[in-house]
Amino acid sequence: MKSRKTFLAAGVIAVSLIIGGCNSKQASSGPFVPKENVSWVVTSKPGGGSDIYTRMISDIMVSEKMLDQTILVTNKTDGGGEIGRNEVANTKGKKADYTLLTFNSGDLMPMVQNTANRSKNFRILAIMAVDKQLIFKGEKTKYQDFSQAIEAAKNGKKVVIGGSKGDDIATYEAMLAEIGLTQNQMSYITYDSTGDAITAILGGHIEFVISKPAAASEYVEAGSLIPVLALAEERYTGNLADAPTLSEIGDYKNVEIPVWRGVAAPAAMSDAAAAYWSDLLGKVAQTDKWNTDYLEKNKLVADYKDMAEAGEYVTKYEADFMAANGIK
Amino acid sequence: MQNLQLLLHGFQTALTFQNVGAALIGAVLGLIVGAMPGIGSLAGVALLLPLTYKFNPTTAIIMLGALYYSNMYGGSFSAILLNIPGDSPAIMTALDGYPMASKKKRPGQALLTADLSSFIGGSIGICILTFTGPALANLGLKFGPSEMTALLLIAMTSISWLVGENPTKGVVITMFGIILASIGMDTLSGVPRYDFGNMYLLGGIPFTPYIIGAVGFSQVIKLIMERDQGKGGAATDMKLTIRGSMITKHDFRRLLPPALRSGFLGTFIGVLPGAGATTGSFMGYAVQKKMKSEEELGTGAIEGIASCEAANNAAAAGAFAPLLALGIPGSGTGAVLLGGLMMWGLNPGPLLFTNEPDFTWGLIASLFLSNILTLAIAVCVIPFLLKILSVPVKYMIPCITVVCVVGSYSSSYSMYGVLIMFLSGIAGYLLDKNDYPTAPMLLSFVLAPLLESNMRKAFIISGGSLDIFFTRPITCVLMVVFFGVVATPVVKSMMKNKTAGKASK
Repeated sequence: MKSRKTFLAAGVIAVSLIIGGCNSKQASSGPFVPKENVSWVVTSKPGGGSDIYTRMISDIMVSEKMLDQTILVTNKTDGGGEIGRNEVANTKGKKADYTLLTFNSGDLMPMVQNTANRSKNFRILAIMAVDKQLIFKGEKTKYQDFSQAIEAAKNGKKVVIGGSKGDDIATYEAMLAEIGLTQNQMSYITYDSTGDAITAILGGHIEFVISKPAAASEYVEAGSLIPVLALAEERYTGNLADAPTLSEIGDYKNVEIPVWRGVAAPAAMSDAAAAYWSDLLGKVAQTDKWNTDYLEKNKLVADYKDMAEAGEYVTKYEADFMAANGIK
Repeated sequence: MQNLQLLLHGFQTALTFQNVGAALIGAVLGLIVGAMPGIGSLAGVALLLPLTYKFNPTTAIIMLGALYYSNMYGGSFSAILLNIPGDSPAIMTALDGYPMASKKKRPGQALLTADLSSFIGGSIGICILTFTGPALANLGLKFGPSEMTALLLIAMTSISWLVGENPTKGVVITMFGIILASIGMDTLSGVPRYDFGNMYLLGGIPFTPYIIGAVGFSQVIKLIMERDQGKGGAATDMKLTIRGSMITKHDFRRLLPPALRSGFLGTFIGVLPGAGATTGSFMGYAVQKKMKSEEELGTGAIEGIASCEAANNAAAAGAFAPLLALGIPGSGTGAVLLGGLMMWGLNPGPLLFTNEPDFTWGLIASLFLSNILTLAIAVCVIPFLLKILSVPVKYMIPCITVVCVVGSYSSSYSMYGVLIMFLSGIAGYLLDKNDYPTAPMLLSFVLAPLLESNMRKAFIISGGSLDIFFTRPITCVLMVVFFGVVATPVVKSMMKNKTAGKASK
């Protein structure tokens, strides 16, 4: 009897894993229906990018009547966000079914670098969007384009790039490795936010700034920032179309370090619940509001990945990042 | 002239019934939020922001602007009456405000001084914003890492005036503040410092709970310890009415010069990226220290209150210039407001002034409006506030403790903040008991990280060369001032020795 039960349980898990992303109704204990308030943890400050992203999704879930329960978004910023992530990773029991976490590439990097937590301590429910970066020059920058700056750096002139933390640094390092320059030849200044870095370039204190399209958009419109390099596999469209990719300006390969925005849950979340949430996030990704009010407005690339796909993607991203930074 | 016309147009927008109401609500909320230790303008604006999504953007920003603005008034209340700064700019207000209220028994006058100088400073700030907004913002941009480093060096020297009678203790405590500030992730390289493997320490010591503990909760411990010795609540012989709070003509004459000076200074500091109202009030006070005051600063001098209160309100107004003209937030609160602008569908950035004149000028006009509204409200509540002083100590202790706990919890919604608050409260009490002044510790805690990150950025730009501090005009001037400030006492004492030596011969 016992072995049969185990077999059955294993079968159920397997089935629910396979059909996880598309339909949760066939799970053994019946479909998961949320009966309690949902707690959604954001590990950065109110008003920031991650916070807006989270509130947008939860707002769509509630206003489009996809969910009957209340979603309580809490900003847990202690320990640079690590405390909040750790709490979610260790949430057990029934509560785990009702706990969500906003999880982005910019969250994963410091977590892996500074703590023992890894992405396997979470369930990655979905990836909702992907962003890429560009390099911009300011009005006071003395280089015409980025290839000139590379030349200058090779000839011993110091070139300074500014940008934000996490993602931007990773992209900068990948770019530097491809161009074959050292950090002394082309230095990077870490600002608290992209906004601060843009402030610095407007004042002419740095030569270039690395930014996602959304943060720079207004300045490009006004002519105070000029896109000079797209760190992507292909050119952008619209007012950013002028920026060539790395392979266009020299004998280099294109550099693209995707910046992703995802949603995670405690590892202890039940399969039925995980399937439900992943599915619900997929529905959010299809709404008009999400596409126009969030993706289009922030110039993000729609790239919904369901649980299975997202889990695989994040695991690979993490392994690459750890290898690149020598973390074991 | 064109600005004036636009401003009048702005008044048309701001003076609609709905917008005046919004400003009024914002002003009242701001006073309350500001007076509560720990819940500063950042939390206030962040909490109110979601409520305003349903408003039209102009009404919403008027409300939030009024809140941000009146918050600077509120912070001084608890600083003066209880020696607990409601927010960080008010640390300086407490230095003179509390002695004036408790030792000189003129709490009403102290509050009125704070209100009036806030009004003066704020008005100057808003006027400057009106006429030179975009130009001012561009000037602020000229301040890069090297300029900020030089400015912060000057600011750091003024800590020496706060160290009190024992310079050794002052230096020790300043260093202690710097060490505490360096805990957490290094902002430039992301490397953890002094985290001892503790996840909480990765994020550093949270500012608000630390300040509430060191200044507020240590005060509670002091009240408990000193309860038996003599009655503390000697408020009975004070005049606790609004008439008893009126300042004399002479007082006003003492108040005016520092308030005016700090108004200009504060506006300018508010415009600088990343400086904010705290640095503003600090510089205002520091400059006053160099000027003549009728009474010594720190003993309850009107000049002391006026100089920092005017500066922090002016800085709050000044911070709007880069926000509106360039879409650059000058402070954390500015960043939240910016997030709000985007939610309302406005695009903050260099084109905001041109594309949305209704909005920007409506906001500026509403600042004038809320400045007056807040002054009126703030003056009217003085008699009620003064009642706090007649509350017996035994009720006061639990009440302040609750406020301290709530304030430190709400800064990051976790008990970690509360723990930090208790610990720094105990530490603050022990330091105070042993005659270590706490003000240098708090200020080095605020300024040292700014100085560090700016200096390191400057060195990255210059490639490690010191040239950057002397080849750029603004930096060079500031450095000369800095060396002047450092060298003056040395030269002075040398001159003194010389003349003394000659005289003895």
